[in-house]
Amino acid sequence: MRQVPHFRNLPVTLRVPLVMAGLMILLGFLASQSVLSTLGRVQDARLSETARLHVEGLSVALGPSVLRQDVWEVYDILDRARSAYDGQRLLLSIVADERGRILAATDPRRAPVGEAVAGFKGDAVPPDAIRMTGDPVLRVAAPLLFQGRQIGQIVTELDVTDLLAERRNVSMWLLFGNAVATALLAFGGWLAVARILRPVGALVSAMDDSRGVPRPIAESEIPRGDPGLSRLISTYNRMTTAVESRAEAERRLAERERFVSLGRLSSSLAHEVNNPLGGLLNAADTILSYSDRPEVVRQSAELMQRGLSHLRDVTRAILDENRLDRVGQALRPEDLEDLKLLFEPEVASRAQRLHWNVDAGSAGLARLPAAPVRQIVLNLLLNAGAAAGQDGEVGLEIAVDEGRLSVDITDTGPGLGQADLGRLLASGPLPPGGGVGLRLVHDLVSELGGEIHHERVGEKTSVRVTLPLKDAGHA
Amino acid sequence: MKSTRRAVLMGVAASAAPFVATRGWAQTPAAFRFALTPVFLDNDAAVISALRAALAEGMGQDIELVQRRTYQEISGALLDGSVDAAWTCGYPYLQHKAELSLLGVPVWRGQPLYQSYLIVAADDPATALSDLSGGTHAFSDPDSNSGFLVTASDLARAGQSPDQFFSRVIFTYGHRNVVRSVAGGLTRSGSVDGYVWEALSSAEPDLTARTKVILRSEWLGFPPMVARADRMTEPSVRACRAALLGLSATAQGKEALKLLSLDAIEPGEDALFDGVAARMAVLAGG
Repeated sequence: MRQVPHFRNLPVTLRVPLVMAGLMILLGFLASQSVLSTLGRVQDARLSETARLHVEGLSVALGPSVLRQDVWEVYDILDRARSAYDGQRLLLSIVADERGRILAATDPRRAPVGEAVAGFKGDAVPPDAIRMTGDPVLRVAAPLLFQGRQIGQIVTELDVTDLLAERRNVSMWLLFGNAVATALLAFGGWLAVARILRPVGALVSAMDDSRGVPRPIAESEIPRGDPGLSRLISTYNRMTTAVESRAEAERRLAERERFVSLGRLSSSLAHEVNNPLGGLLNAADTILSYSDRPEVVRQSAELMQRGLSHLRDVTRAILDENRLDRVGQALRPEDLEDLKLLFEPEVASRAQRLHWNVDAGSAGLARLPAAPVRQIVLNLLLNAGAAAGQDGEVGLEIAVDEGRLSVDITDTGPGLGQADLGRLLASGPLPPGGGVGLRLVHDLVSELGGEIHHERVGEKTSVRVTLPLKDAGHA
Repeated sequence: MKSTRRAVLMGVAASAAPFVATRGWAQTPAAFRFALTPVFLDNDAAVISALRAALAEGMGQDIELVQRRTYQEISGALLDGSVDAAWTCGYPYLQHKAELSLLGVPVWRGQPLYQSYLIVAADDPATALSDLSGGTHAFSDPDSNSGFLVTASDLARAGQSPDQFFSRVIFTYGHRNVVRSVAGGLTRSGSVDGYVWEALSSAEPDLTARTKVILRSEWLGFPPMVARADRMTEPSVRACRAALLGLSATAQGKEALKLLSLDAIEPGEDALFDGVAARMAVLAGG
């Protein structure tokens, strides 16, 4: 990992335990501080008590000797008092007279008799004010009181190396203990929180499924013990079902669009069927009336044959449009002829002009499936025809070049509205109202891996669809 | 913490104990009172106990060993009769020569003589008394021969007095204390009884090892046992003299003498203390 991911980007199942571990560390730190400060107070109190008792005891013992300025007695008492102490807490005790001259010290070589005691007081404090400073040697200075008056001074050096070591040891153990405890608690906390958050993790992964579709969570994974979470997941499951239902509805709608487009053709196709019927009936009458005139009968029969052929072509084209077994069949020039046959009555009914130009061989066309291409072209033609209106113009250009089939459909209509463009060019949710024909075009082109371009040039609207040709050899 | 306080107070009490316990207010009047000074091995209760037992046996009488801090107090107690006999020093004996008589003189290393030592710290570069000028000095007792008179008379010969020659002089009232004072660094030098220093060097070698002897005096009369001259004929005093002189003949006496590092106690004669007398004359003349 080259870069540490930002905390906010971490999964919630990691973030919560991390926050908890942080709080644990903080708690451990505060607890340690509290213990150390208590230890410090205890040590200070111990030290202060030692110093105070030492000074008090010496005052009692030394009083008369100091009063007499008896150097030997003072030294003798200090020397014997030192050897009576346990441990080596007292490094040096100095007793001075009223004028601050040293009378005697436990180590006369360091503090010779007669010298000024001021040189040894330095940073000395009264016994009650003594505190651990981190210095291994602390100094205490106190007045030597005898019979209620001050007759001299006592300066004592205390060795606190052992207390410092104790403090250091406690610090180390606290640090170690807290580190272990925090690690254990943080790990336990991570396990617990991970367990608690497992449904949330499942929810996240279900929502972000690799197929890009939200997937419902199994009933067994819903934590019944947590009403909030269980309600959340149930709601989520209902939402995923709703999304599925909606996609299913859209799919069915697109399926029906094929019939819808035929429905849009029905009136012109009815005319297309009806018109030849009059001619056919006349031909039948003529045959009945002039049955003895063979040339008239033959003429009428030929007329009837042409009319019936036309009807047969139209019905075949309609049937082809709806035949489900055409799925997977390759596109043929005849398919395009069928479309023209179906669309021409629509053009005629609006007195429109149709520019039909197909420049594609059967070899190129065969590299595309027939059903979706027919659907795409028919839908676009119907739209263009409706848009062009009475006396308008509709054009179709089909060409194959550079491995692509391009279908360019133009009309002289007012152009596509925003809602229609949304249906045709984007894959977002369908805007309410309007048909699904353009969206069907969009979806079919997407499935074939093609592209749609929309253009408004002068008075003309142009929708160009380019479809990549599949590998040759496609039957 | 309490124990620390107790330790200090007990130390103080212990130092005071000998004065209280051996005063003997509760003793019967019949007890013979024999005075000792802490000039000797004041820290050794076993020595005192053995000596008392041996003397009591020898005298056939209960004996009370009385300790006093200074020779002056011993001399005073002897003269006013509050003690019957005492182990004192040649110097106070001669100071009160007219009133006191010898009961006996201890024999140390074959003769009733000893020396005074001038000691300094083991690492001190001084080699003679003159090197110690301006330093601090510990004497034992102003009435002690070895612990004062010898050094003071040496200085007097050079026209000096201890207070002038030394920057500070202290009296420790104990030869062992002189050694402690020098060993501990309280004073630079000290005047000490050679017999005590030698005894300490085997009893407490760590203490004497921190000191060294730079000057030994001539041989002088060993600190004698004395009694008031006008009481020498009293039976108890005579019994005491007999007991002292007979110590080397009894088991208990030998035990006590062994603890004291002494060979015997002999009658002795005043001529033993001529050397002390000569130094007294120097000091008086100086």
